[in-house]
Amino acid sequence: MDTFKLLKTLTETGAPSGFEEQIAPVVQELWEPFVDTISVDRVGSLIAVKNGRAPEPRPRLLLAAHMDEIGLMVTQIVEHEGNGFLRVTNVGGVDRRQVYAQLVTVHGRKELHGVVGNLPPHLLPEDRRDKPYGYEDLVIDVGLPLADVEANVSVGDFVSFRQPLRKLQGKRVSGKALDNRASVAAVTICLEYLQGRSHDWDVVAVATAQEETRLLGAFTSAFSQQPDAAIAIDVTFGKGPGASDENTFDLGGGPVIDRGPNVHPGLYQGLQEAADSLEMSINTGTHSRYSGTDAFGLQIARDGIPTGLVGIPLRYMHTMVESLDMKDVERTGRLLGEFITRLDADFISNITAALMEEEKA
Amino acid sequence: MNELIKKLVEAYGPSGFEDGMRDLIRPEVEAYADEIRVDALGNLIAIKNGDGSGLKVMIAAHMDEIGVMVTHVTKEGFLRFTNIGGVLPHNLMGSRVQFANGTIGLIYSDRIEDRGKIHPLNKFYIDVGASSPDDCPVSVGDAAGFVRPFMAQGSRLTAKTMDDRIGCVVAIEAMKRLKSTPHQVYFAFTVQEEVGVRGAMTAANHLDPDVGIALDVTLTGDVPEARPMAISLGKGAAIKVKDSGMIAHAGLVRLMKQRADAASIPYQLEVLDGGSTDARSMQIANAGTAAGCISIPCRYVHSQSETVDAGDVESCIQLLVEILANPIEL
Repeated sequence: MDTFKLLKTLTETGAPSGFEEQIAPVVQELWEPFVDTISVDRVGSLIAVKNGRAPEPRPRLLLAAHMDEIGLMVTQIVEHEGNGFLRVTNVGGVDRRQVYAQLVTVHGRKELHGVVGNLPPHLLPEDRRDKPYGYEDLVIDVGLPLADVEANVSVGDFVSFRQPLRKLQGKRVSGKALDNRASVAAVTICLEYLQGRSHDWDVVAVATAQEETRLLGAFTSAFSQQPDAAIAIDVTFGKGPGASDENTFDLGGGPVIDRGPNVHPGLYQGLQEAADSLEMSINTGTHSRYSGTDAFGLQIARDGIPTGLVGIPLRYMHTMVESLDMKDVERTGRLLGEFITRLDADFISNITAALMEEEKA
Repeated sequence: MNELIKKLVEAYGPSGFEDGMRDLIRPEVEAYADEIRVDALGNLIAIKNGDGSGLKVMIAAHMDEIGVMVTHVTKEGFLRFTNIGGVLPHNLMGSRVQFANGTIGLIYSDRIEDRGKIHPLNKFYIDVGASSPDDCPVSVGDAAGFVRPFMAQGSRLTAKTMDDRIGCVVAIEAMKRLKSTPHQVYFAFTVQEEVGVRGAMTAANHLDPDVGIALDVTLTGDVPEARPMAISLGKGAAIKVKDSGMIAHAGLVRLMKQRADAASIPYQLEVLDGGSTDARSMQIANAGTAAGCISIPCRYVHSQSETVDAGDVESCIQLLVEILANPIEL
């Protein structure tokens, strides 16, 4: 599988949180050849199961990679000299400073290309030139008269950012929605990795919905699938100029395995052992309270699910130039695959027993 | 219908103290329900059976209202209080509140030095006419709701608690008009919405619906210097697409629009920047629910003069009936 093509297909599809029906068919096509069942649930998550070879009832590992992205939504249609413009608000954690001057797709009755506009600095009063625009200032211009805009666009229509994935040097790429389509790509690579290998556990691969707004798909899919263990895969902060040394990671430095309250120590250790067996370089990430990922939701479904968290280092998060190293995506896929092939019938009882052991001196 | 509205909007029922509301609503729905339950948190659930061909649909309208709770009685007999839900200090001066035992209190604040500034809530007090803790008819932990009579002026209806007794009215009226439905419909009159959409959470976990529709008020953009919002009083039912707590199920939004179009029911599309509804809880319950909301446009929300339009209320009822009377395909 060509990782660039995979990422290009995934990131260039516009699907803000709540509008996963745009991206789910794309992921479904990628995963279908590798899995036994696949379907969309009632909140819009895509759930695929690849059966293991152990006798039933088999233990299940859930992999959660969210497929939604940040975006915008139309709040008003306004008129200026016969032309129609759109006011918008954010869907998910959009960085307000970078909305101005973006290219967008308005998902109306038909898809319209537009730009996010306002006045250039020359025409702004001096005291406003250095300040970011708020949503009350910005409009989307689709270049149409009011009547055509009203015929094609309604309040509540989703708007996605539009940006092609581009190659930088080496295996670096830059584009939008690498958060978190990079992880969807990693899960795809994992499923492909498993094709030639045998594994005891069932693998439940979930492309979750509405992570950016409320981790919806994590909570709900963990409930419906009742896995024995789960791993969330999401992007994490890449090192770069200005970034602190703490909890940021080299692009190309390998997957980041997280420790912290959202993570079961047994999963952390299991992922480390899988990396060791592949002689793969990894880093350890930490979170002290809330990981800000699907792991938070997965962990507390039903009577609790031992959960792990794997991160892919990424610079410029929540912008249209999110950047990462494709090697990290590929390694993350292989790491998950290796972890899965190593799972045996005793994995859960072993990691549970380890919690009961006395602290070693 | 104004009689029913008046009965519900003038009643007492701050979050956590909804017993009286339940007693008021129960007789209104008894004749139209196949079964009525009250769950452990106090949600009143009226069930209308379907013919077995449809889905499990939960309708949620919350019975509770914002209010205040006594935290301290001064030695002079004045009551300091905290908020129950989103009580706004600038709406409080000179308000009247009523406790469960009927005691009326007047709200005022400590001396105001700067008339341009509003005191925080802990500088307000309630005067119930007592002169010491000994002759004070209420005590710490007692809750009060606001007092304000219902008013109908033309098509505009005003009350202290349109949020969300008008949603309860929409649910009750829809139950009355719904002759038959393919769906198993749970009309949940929920508790504790104003303190974190809590009643709907447990009800949805228990009922495990396929589809959840909240009935609640939304803000409007049609008053002087309003925050821009494409919702106006009198322009029809509001179909929620997004609020700050959830994004409605895209398929359910489409279905609502189709049903409204087909029945020529006026509607508006709602993108709300502040606040959320019981739909937020229903959406994330169990394995997830296809959740949405029919909103009643309302001016001056969380003040004692919440104002809706009777035509919009009618549109909401009609839309709900159209949705429930027909198959739901998402």
